[in-house]
Amino acid sequence: MVAFLQVALAGVVTGSIYGLLALGIVLIYRTTGVLNFAYGAIGAVCTGFMAILMMGPRLPFGLALLGALIFSALLGMGLERSFARPVLRAPVFTKAIATLALALILETVAQQIWPQLSQAVHFSSPFATASVRVGGVYIALIDVVILLVTAGVMVALQLFLTRTKLGIAMRATADNQDAARLMGAPVGNISLLTWGLSAVIAALAGILLASRTGLMNLSFLDPVLILAFIGAVLGGLESLPGALIGGIVIGLLDNLLALILAGHSLGPLDISDPGIRQALIFGGFVLVLLFRPQGLLGQATLRRV
Amino acid sequence: MSDPASASPRSAPPSAWLRSRWAGWFIAGVGVVALLLVPSTYDALYGFQAGFQLHRISLIGIYIIAALAQNVLTGYAAQPSLGNAAFFGVGAYLLAWTNTDLHQPYWLGIVIAMVVCALLGLIVGGPALRISGTYLAIATLGLVLVTQSLLDLWDKTNGRQSYDLTQLPLSLGDDHTLYVFIVVIVVAVLFFVRNILQSRVGRAWVAIRDNEAAAEAFGINLTTYKLLAFVISALLTGLAGALYATWATTASSSSSSADQTIAFLAMIVVGGLGSIVGSVIGAIFVGFLPLLLQQLPAIVSAGPIRIQVTTLQSGIFGLLLLLALIFFPEGLRGIVDRAGLLMRRLLNRHIATGASEGVER
Repeated sequence: MVAFLQVALAGVVTGSIYGLLALGIVLIYRTTGVLNFAYGAIGAVCTGFMAILMMGPRLPFGLALLGALIFSALLGMGLERSFARPVLRAPVFTKAIATLALALILETVAQQIWPQLSQAVHFSSPFATASVRVGGVYIALIDVVILLVTAGVMVALQLFLTRTKLGIAMRATADNQDAARLMGAPVGNISLLTWGLSAVIAALAGILLASRTGLMNLSFLDPVLILAFIGAVLGGLESLPGALIGGIVIGLLDNLLALILAGHSLGPLDISDPGIRQALIFGGFVLVLLFRPQGLLGQATLRRV
Repeated sequence: MSDPASASPRSAPPSAWLRSRWAGWFIAGVGVVALLLVPSTYDALYGFQAGFQLHRISLIGIYIIAALAQNVLTGYAAQPSLGNAAFFGVGAYLLAWTNTDLHQPYWLGIVIAMVVCALLGLIVGGPALRISGTYLAIATLGLVLVTQSLLDLWDKTNGRQSYDLTQLPLSLGDDHTLYVFIVVIVVAVLFFVRNILQSRVGRAWVAIRDNEAAAEAFGINLTTYKLLAFVISALLTGLAGALYATWATTASSSSSSADQTIAFLAMIVVGGLGSIVGSVIGAIFVGFLPLLLQQLPAIVSAGPIRIQVTTLQSGIFGLLLLLALIFFPEGLRGIVDRAGLLMRRLLNRHIATGASEGVER
């Protein structure tokens, strides 16, 4: 039972990081219609910036974090102006492939500026070694931080989107851009804000993951990003809580299946292999989509003829 | 006045010939002959390096097939599937399996790869009928990742580092023969795709793409035609995967990666959705440009600044891709369309002036 709880907790923690990334993906997708394949690169570049701040000028963790978050907001807004604007009216696939090009450019530029980041570097954090004990379950301090930050981001976003004028304007823009513009919503600034916000979320997710593993390089978020995408779709691409839940479900399932399948084999086939786990999760994911094609929390779209 | 040649231009402009059936065959024939002349040109150009260079450009042919397959599915039948690299990997592994482990003839391996991939396409197409848009794209992307890990697992279970094709026909080991072999297959696939697009099936796909409800109202069976698109696309991608294994003489699970599958989508987006010419241009752009960029000098120094170009390659490619998308959001085939228009106009003017001179005389 303790082992189960321990593994479930680890699953929720990794799932929270997928969920955070999924939040940012959904935020951009809903507001600007961009399926952002560069999202991992954005998070990695911001995390790399923080690692450099801690390695080069030897800033303390807190200051470096502040610096990285400001940097991420500026990067996100800069990308909106330089990149998202020109492709705003393009078809959806064109936009998706354009973000792929953006990811290549971002990684190359970052590699030119910080060549040391192309290999894995140590990412130190004050939460690295400490842990607390609740009942029989050990919880690493970083895991507590991850859960708190994720919950904080979700609550703050929800409050912002439902309680503030700007947040409501943002939702209106997501629903219908032309109508929102007619109602006086500052659509251009909202797009700017969305990219800034989602870049900050990407940076947070990257920094949390790097603090947990103690390592990072410029492509360390790429494998995580695909799982975040799957989480976002599982939750329903239209819904922010859905994205978070989707991410957590993926992380939880992955860890629990690892526990259940560990040490078992089917003839010569080692079913504790991550491949089998992935296949099972994917099978479940497709089943969910077959019954709810709009994801767990997405709204069904009516087909008008 | 009895001369038929002088009577016809009154109704049709002189450039109508360009649109006629015979012109198409003529241009295609010239193209094929040009492609088949490439090896001897390369011999003259590169000497002993010709084989190596031919081997590199043969890869474009494989990507053209994969891009055509993706375009049939996404550009014509409007199914935004990102799952094609799964068939690409499975095709490659099936050929390696039949070739190396089962010692079957090469052609049989190709056929098996195509047939099995077609069946898998049918299986993938089933759920795709219910899932649509971005949901389908991400779900099929997941399929690619799962396929990659399962192929990895197969390698691991059999304890092999790489899955080499050891029983390939000797002739395909020669780069010149391999090039001609791939050109012939690409031409055959182009012909097949063109015909199917001009048939009832192709028209049904376009109708579904343009307006699903209207197509259904006209009695087009959505299920049949969407599934057919998945099957044909998977079959062609399986063929491309098998050819890729032949080209690389090894099958690797990286042929079924997220990068690979997004590259297939990138090809048709940058070339042009719903266009055969676009598939070809896109395959060249995405498949060949990175190879071309490897030819750049390793280090460029301008005064005190020394730039390590090798590390910039993927960034330069990204920048070119981005520029292509910004300036040609509908695809680079726009260039070809414009060139064709220009040529037609020039031709018309030329013949018109020629004709008027004739009248004056």
